[in-house]
Amino acid sequence: MRYVHLYFTCIKRSMISRLEYKKDTIVALFSFFFSNLCSLAAVYFILQSIPALAGYSLAELGFFYGFSMLPISLDHLFSDEFWLVAYRRVKDGDMDMHFLRPVPVIFQVFAETFQPEGFGEMILGVALITVCAFHLTVTVTFGAIAVLIIGAVFGAVIITSLKVAMAALAFIFKRSGPLLQIIYNFSSYAKYPLAIYPFLIRTLLIFVLPFGLFISLPVDTLLTGAHDPWLLSFAIIGVAAVFFALAVRIWTLCERRYESTGS
Amino acid sequence: MLKKYKPFLRAGAIDTMAYRFNILIWAGITVCEVACLVFLWLAVYRSSEGGMDAAIHGFSYREMIAYVVLTTIFNFVTYNNDTVWNINTDIKKGTVGNYLIKPISYRGKFAATSLGNLLTMTLMFGIPFYTAALVTLGSLGFLPDLSFPTFFAHLGLFLLAGLCASLLNDTISYIFGVLCFYTSSGWGLNSLKVTLISFLSGTLLPLAFFPAGLREIVNRLPFAGMSQNPILILMMKYDLAQSIRCVALTAAWIVVLELFAKLLFSHAVRKVTVQGG
Repeated sequence: MRYVHLYFTCIKRSMISRLEYKKDTIVALFSFFFSNLCSLAAVYFILQSIPALAGYSLAELGFFYGFSMLPISLDHLFSDEFWLVAYRRVKDGDMDMHFLRPVPVIFQVFAETFQPEGFGEMILGVALITVCAFHLTVTVTFGAIAVLIIGAVFGAVIITSLKVAMAALAFIFKRSGPLLQIIYNFSSYAKYPLAIYPFLIRTLLIFVLPFGLFISLPVDTLLTGAHDPWLLSFAIIGVAAVFFALAVRIWTLCERRYESTGS
Repeated sequence: MLKKYKPFLRAGAIDTMAYRFNILIWAGITVCEVACLVFLWLAVYRSSEGGMDAAIHGFSYREMIAYVVLTTIFNFVTYNNDTVWNINTDIKKGTVGNYLIKPISYRGKFAATSLGNLLTMTLMFGIPFYTAALVTLGSLGFLPDLSFPTFFAHLGLFLLAGLCASLLNDTISYIFGVLCFYTSSGWGLNSLKVTLISFLSGTLLPLAFFPAGLREIVNRLPFAGMSQNPILILMMKYDLAQSIRCVALTAAWIVVLELFAKLLFSHAVRKVTVQGG
């Protein structure tokens, strides 16, 4: 309970400092919408020249793209500070203050920033899903809806865990940003159905960097009923729990190795 | 006259050298992205009406993969200046004041630095990467058969087009940088610039895929010369006359945008408030 209160106090402070730069947020939001619009236009132009991509129609691919934005945006809202830890804060010796306070460092990093930009991403994702859903003819089952929601929420947990684990390595190597970037960029693979990838990449995207597990497989469950929704939900929650536990463990181990760079 | 910019050219070249480890990591990231694109295009051709042997908008799947690989290398080698960032920092820290009172042009400083970056990148990464890509793609039959004298003419025009593209990119970056005088949102402006260029230059997909009306317009904009045209010159999809026209169009755009940048700067500079510095 004390932590919940503490979290909201910290977030309020971060929001107040953000409001100083309103115009910046508007420019950032605009550029974000514009870049998604361009990627969507690109997919649209490509599909104009072929009947369907690996059996998926335009509306179905739009659904994939929109759904992939949900777990990514949820993660974006809560854990943006880890990018700074990985790229800059450890290297600049900027983490010392967190080690002097009587709350876990990992909690403090979460409480440092709340990124309202994530809502923009979420709204765009939901809008895209809604528009595409009108053009789909599928039998919607309760299980399919459940697995989509679980995929979005626990997918965000998996992304955050990967981020925490990679950022933690900065305590040892001083800078782990690029590594985090490589791992994170694999999320763009999950914007398309797994069917377009060769077997090896498909396996990688399900078992190692499981972006496919919580994005492509749930969407496939809705579109074609290809997988058992309950088994899949169970798998996603299980993987999320394991990834989160591992991430916290890696963070705690690496944290002990922290030496201030003192500059 | 130009001698005073030589230190900036040198600094740009050395700066790039110092960050070669970062550049290698970026190369790793880029390889993952290219792989994703290649899979996507293979799926597109597999799903097309004519199957794998189809030509979509004049590109066979072999040419498309060559196009994706070569544009990626081209962008990697040609575009790595931090002009928008540096102007943004100069404004935020107030160091822009130092440049305004010195007898060199603020614009010239960035152009020289960018050329320095381009020089190092071309020598250190461009030559090995292009050679490896051309030899590999060529021996897999992904490029047309090379007849040597024509190929060298195309190669020469490609290098010229690359130089123009780099200058044009710096001009556009500079314009976006000067816009930081008005908003101070360097991050947003920079990503807007990157998106605009990657979409309209044909990096995301060749402009031939755009709907006809839009394509006609985009082909005349400066961006086509920043990625698609240089690569199509290198791949010999354009004949010599067409290649020369493309380079000339890009050069003309540099002049026009350079004039625009000058006007914009003289307006923006009145806005600047130097806080200490």
